Amino acid sequence: MEAMEHTSDFTNFHMDAIREVGNIGTGNAATALSRLLGRTVDMDVPVAELVPIYEVAAHYGAPEMPVCAVLVRTEDEFSCSLIFMIDEEKANLLADLIIPMDISGMDEDTQLQIRDSALSEQGNIILGAFLNALAQITGWVLPTTTPAVARDMLGSIMDLVASMFGVIGDSAMLVKTSLHIKDLDSELGGTVIMIPDPGALEALLSKLGVL
Amino acid sequence: MTQPIHVGMADLVVSKHPATLITLGLGSCIGLVIYDQISKTAGMVHIMLPDSREAKNIPKPGKFADTAIPLLLEELAKLGVNKSQLRAKMAGGAQMFSMPGKDSAIFAVGTRNVEATTKMLAAAGIRLVSSDTGGSKGRSVEFSTETMKFVVKTLGSGTKEL
Repeated sequence: MEAMEHTSDFTNFHMDAIREVGNIGTGNAATALSRLLGRTVDMDVPVAELVPIYEVAAHYGAPEMPVCAVLVRTEDEFSCSLIFMIDEEKANLLADLIIPMDISGMDEDTQLQIRDSALSEQGNIILGAFLNALAQITGWVLPTTTPAVARDMLGSIMDLVASMFGVIGDSAMLVKTSLHIKDLDSELGGTVIMIPDPGALEALLSKLGVL
Repeated sequence: MTQPIHVGMADLVVSKHPATLITLGLGSCIGLVIYDQISKTAGMVHIMLPDSREAKNIPKPGKFADTAIPLLLEELAKLGVNKSQLRAKMAGGAQMFSMPGKDSAIFAVGTRNVEATTKMLAAAGIRLVSSDTGGSKGRSVEFSTETMKFVVKTLGSGTKEL
């Protein structure tokens, strides 16, 4: 790949290590979500790949597809952002799984607020579990921020993700894993994306003893 | 209408009439159009970050406000525009996520993009005639050399014309 900066130095060995972190993190996230919902949650084998930032927007689907994204950050020994992203329609179904009452009669703004609050909690549990797994592997203390929720076009969310990677260089290390909730009429699934701050990936690899 | 040209991240496209330039799903990035109404020539760039000075290399000058605007003007000049006729319109620079009690520079990148783009336009003496920036929502934009209108679409709140 042309025009890489330090990310060009990542070998298959490093990618495997990062994929394994994704694996353990998502495994923990799936368990936490399963416990919250009382349902079976499966996960796909994580994919770790280097993508030119200019292609990040188109990487996950149609740019104008409405999605819901929950973001948390950890800023201490290891600084990174984590995003849980899910189709907006599915996000609402996911939210309804933990809303203990029928909200369909309420006005739209109230419904939105209740669902966003539920999603923020679910995102927090999923991403918090991901970080807990990472904390266990590394021995780091990884406190998380309060989750932030956005409902927007997929392209606009990924536009920000690309810019966050763009500060470091011209490629994005995308760790993509999907969670699938079973025993439902329609398949529900979302994606976890890890966005390390400048230098954080190197710190992680070094901590894991592979750099 | 002509087949629209997609201006991807950090891309820079200039064209004579007839052309329709579009960018789908701008978040913190900026969609900037500079055009000459008389010669019906326009260029669009999809700016990602405000400042190139910390970058080790710049494979795509469209990525940064401070490198994108000089290049856009240069490319327009090659098409024979009269610089004094040039006008600009821009959209984007949203802050997609807000974190309570957090003043994280990462999330304010949209605001910094708007500031840097505005400053570069002023420095180049290009009049910014209209803009739709900031807020928390992403935008899709479309510019046509037929109408010289910049159509901005936001999820949930419809379309506006700049």
